[in-house]
Amino acid sequence: MSTLIGSAIQNVKSSFSPRGVVWTLWAGILVVIGLAALVNYFIHGHDAYGTSRQVPWGILISTYVFFVVSSTGLCLVSSLGHVFGFKQFEVIGKRAIVMAIATILAGFAVIATEIGYPFRMLIYNFVSPNFAAAIWWMGTLYGLYLLFILLEFGFMMKVHHKYAGYAGLAAFVAGIAAHSNLGAVFGLLDARKWWSGPFLPIYFILSAAVTGCAIVLLLFAVRYMKEKMPDNVRDTMLTISKLFCFLLGVLIFFGIWKLFSSLYAGAPGKYEAMMALVNGPLWVSYWGFEVFLGMVLPFVLILVTKGKNLGVAVFAAASSMVGIFFMRYNLVVAGQLKPMRYDPEVVGAGGLVSYAPTITEIGIVLGGIGLCLLMYIAANMIFNLDAEEHH
Amino acid sequence: MAGAKNKHWAMVIDSAKCIDCKACDVACKRENGIEANGRREVYRNWITSKGVEGTYPNLKQRFEPSQCHHCANTPCYKVCPTSATYKNDDGLIMMDYKRCIVCSTCIAACPYDARYVSKQKKAIDKCTFCAHRIYTGKLPACVDTCPTKVRVFGDLNDPESEVSKILASRHYFVIKPEAGTKPNLYYLT
Repeated sequence: MSTLIGSAIQNVKSSFSPRGVVWTLWAGILVVIGLAALVNYFIHGHDAYGTSRQVPWGILISTYVFFVVSSTGLCLVSSLGHVFGFKQFEVIGKRAIVMAIATILAGFAVIATEIGYPFRMLIYNFVSPNFAAAIWWMGTLYGLYLLFILLEFGFMMKVHHKYAGYAGLAAFVAGIAAHSNLGAVFGLLDARKWWSGPFLPIYFILSAAVTGCAIVLLLFAVRYMKEKMPDNVRDTMLTISKLFCFLLGVLIFFGIWKLFSSLYAGAPGKYEAMMALVNGPLWVSYWGFEVFLGMVLPFVLILVTKGKNLGVAVFAAASSMVGIFFMRYNLVVAGQLKPMRYDPEVVGAGGLVSYAPTITEIGIVLGGIGLCLLMYIAANMIFNLDAEEHH
Repeated sequence: MAGAKNKHWAMVIDSAKCIDCKACDVACKRENGIEANGRREVYRNWITSKGVEGTYPNLKQRFEPSQCHHCANTPCYKVCPTSATYKNDDGLIMMDYKRCIVCSTCIAACPYDARYVSKQKKAIDKCTFCAHRIYTGKLPACVDTCPTKVRVFGDLNDPESEVSKILASRHYFVIKPEAGTKPNLYYLT
């Protein structure tokens, strides 16, 4: 234990670089913005949010989804190495798992500000569980998932590869189960036709894998910004960039069929939600961010460079992450814009209701991103996240 | 509110009689101590204008009162993670406020937009068919107050009840039958 603490202190000392300070400062500013927004939320409650009776879920839910998709994706990608035995991917293990922990904790922090009474949840999730509710399974399985990735990280740091593999396998299973249940939280709402069906639980897993690849590329690009990337890491990153490109292609394929199937028959509920994205209030967010930045641009960039240019792949990953944030927002908001009944006081043009995030909501989102970065920076300082040779 | 285990509560609505006076909304708020405090979205029941029908001079304005449909196949009940939404012994959809975490999934799940966030209750709130009244032999407040007797309330398990007799003799429909929710609000044609 004393050697672990000693090496942690040594790591912290050696990690203090001007670059590290700048990153910490930026993350700190975001957290301060988030705290200011949180104060406003504590004063005004949900009135500080843009959500309503007609659109009860807003940007905080979509940001939660963004974070947990990221976490699951990192877990999936890192599992390729120490769970499924692809040696080449073992270099990404610790760094990816640390970020998986940071992203899920940031996700929990953000959703705690959206759920009216999160402490009741801690009690009544156990006292009066409803096993028929996807949200109960999602929350419970994500709790287990967090436990497993913490164990996995602990074993990795102790260089117990066998136990890390077991914990990693448990995290993989819990992550897949939790994440598909998150898709089911939306997919089992039959009233919301655009969400309902088996598409979302499946799509969420695919989407997680895409996000995991993008974040791994970014993490290693930042890690080796100022020094030469070792050849084995570089090879792994190039392989990940190809995997990323392939998965983006599959995601585009899914997206195209979601688009067609939503519009084809003009089915009430599906059609209006899709049209809100295609040619409605969310068109910029859809075409500009989700489709172009999130999927098409990164896909094309990696394709034309044949997956051989790491710089381009990292740019593609950054572009994709920005787009994916909006992808989550579009998914959550568009599904609610077609109201359940016609109320002339809230229904606007095109028969849709409206939602726009408030400054408080945006502040909390920024705070969540800052918190995630701060946790990663702290872990990066305390622990040696570079791969060790197997013994 | 446990219920009596042998009731099948239902409401029959004759929209043609509705004059949009909103006494039902007022009575509901008063009976249940609901303070909207300027928040437009705080209500348990509502009246939707269905627009003007017919051609001049034979015009008719139609209104459609509504509230929680106390569905037998209940989407809001299924999605509640902490069982804050529950069915009593007679199938009424009730709230155990202290269990509600306000995740709003039930709001998203309800095809009738019958739920809202209540600051007063610190929970999601909805119509209970005035359960605290009906088990003491009274009518729900909205039924009691209606000047044109739009709403009729009673037990469908009792063939002699007014609701049973109306549904046996008149044509009726339910809202969004395609949702498969088996609602207990019936509208006369």
